[in-house]
Amino acid sequence: MNATYLRTEVRRTLRAPRYFIFVIGMPVGLFLLFSSLYGSGTQDGVGAKAWLMVSMSVFGAMGAAVSIGGRIAGERQAGWTRQLRLTPMPGRMYVASKAVTALAVAVPALVLVYAVGAVVEGVRLPAARWAEAAGWSLLALAPFVAMGIWLGHRLTVDVLGPLSGALFTALGILGGVWFPISQLPSAMQELAKSLPSYWLAQAGREPLAGSWIGWHGVAVLAVWTAVFAILGARAYQRDTARA
Amino acid sequence: MSAAPGVGTAKRAGEIRLQGLVKSFRGPHGPIEAVRGVEVEIAIGETVALLGPNGAGKSTTIDMLLGLLEPDAGGVSVFGRSASDAVAAGAVGAMLQTGSLIRDLTVRELVSMMAALYPEPLAVEQVLELTGTSEFASQRTQKLSGGQTQRVRAAVALVSNPELLVLDEPTVALDVEGRNAFWRVMREFAARGKTILFATHYLEEADEYADRIVLMAQGRVVADGPATAIKAVVGGRSIRTTLPGVEDAVLAALPGVNAVERHGDSVRLTCTDSDRALRALLAAQPDARDVEVGGADLEDAFVALTSPATGVSA
Repeated sequence: MNATYLRTEVRRTLRAPRYFIFVIGMPVGLFLLFSSLYGSGTQDGVGAKAWLMVSMSVFGAMGAAVSIGGRIAGERQAGWTRQLRLTPMPGRMYVASKAVTALAVAVPALVLVYAVGAVVEGVRLPAARWAEAAGWSLLALAPFVAMGIWLGHRLTVDVLGPLSGALFTALGILGGVWFPISQLPSAMQELAKSLPSYWLAQAGREPLAGSWIGWHGVAVLAVWTAVFAILGARAYQRDTARA
Repeated sequence: MSAAPGVGTAKRAGEIRLQGLVKSFRGPHGPIEAVRGVEVEIAIGETVALLGPNGAGKSTTIDMLLGLLEPDAGGVSVFGRSASDAVAAGAVGAMLQTGSLIRDLTVRELVSMMAALYPEPLAVEQVLELTGTSEFASQRTQKLSGGQTQRVRAAVALVSNPELLVLDEPTVALDVEGRNAFWRVMREFAARGKTILFATHYLEEADEYADRIVLMAQGRVVADGPATAIKAVVGGRSIRTTLPGVEDAVLAALPGVNAVERHGDSVRLTCTDSDRALRALLAAQPDARDVEVGGADLEDAFVALTSPATGVSA
């Protein structure tokens, strides 16, 4: 992968004003809000504040990953994707760079919410657990990165904006990112366990108690990633026409 | 075509070859045949204009030349390689027709990023200098004017130091001054022995800046040669007259008339045979006043050759 290209892509994404509002601002704000409302007691055997902190951090990271789709759609519409196809950079490198960029810009979302958790809300965890929560969260973002890339190559900016907002909210609610799925009817709980958003949230939460999502969770995430990656690859290949 | 003996610059013909290119698209009323058998050969170091009205198939042809579009039939060879191999080798630079810049980068960052993708780029500062973008190189791309954006796009196309530069209607957004500045840059680039193909629907632009003009209409090449040769193909002259109250269709039906253009009461008839047309006009329309017969300029050639009324077998 081309280092200069990648560095410039990441820098460019971090500079976008939307990035700060949706990927950094919203999760931090919601964390502070929820923490003041529901921050006492415990959830799933860990402190409620830590639970909420990880939930909102993956919510922000999910936003960062999916927002790559909007950026791709924008670049297609601007004719920039075609311009890049005229460089020696192979298409798979373009896609890989987008994926790495999506993960790279998800990191500040995680770190900032964690920092607010540690400094403002007084969340205390062993160092290894912070690192595990962050690492697992990033791994579990894979389906969302692939989904963003797929949608970015399929849809226009105008459609993608509202659609990804709706999709993102629905996945957040149905997957129990916002509140524990134990509050849902059992059929909904079963549905949640087939969604990537549930396993993303769990991937961040389980390490808090020194656990992990297990092979079942990994398998669900892997299947979603594979499906979106295949759809994304096909969309990319068909996407040479003038926008 | 071969280089005439005694010509100083020995240009090798056929280094870039478009052979029998055919492409159609699905349209709402059946297939649209955008390109119907385009044959063009370009020698190294040539500057060639692809001239034609909108819908002539210029952009589709360019997309196939660049490997962005797979032809239904025919083939593309760029310096003896396939289009995609030439692109992969970094030999091709392009300014596409639809294209804005990506946001949130400075001009210098953008050009540097593109330079990093090529094996043997030009020095970024040199390209900024050449394209006149140095003075606003620290500005963000979304804050540029239309003319500045176009210059940055030129910088993006040139930074790879390509052997073939393809420009699809590069000066559409520019005023006269911007256009002249743009072509000064391109001439300097051509002087390094580079090959340039540009699409345009500005006749003066093709006439002034190209060694050769390939005229396209309705998906075909209708003429190919120096501007003078294109005029010879038409042999056309035009008749201007003041003639109110006569249907254009009546005038178009006169023998030797190929196309009719009207501005109020003033009519211009583009002719394949102006002598016959003139006699017929004066006989049929005794009210015609201020009759003038003019020699062909490129504009006339253009109208005559690309008019749907004409057979396109030039």
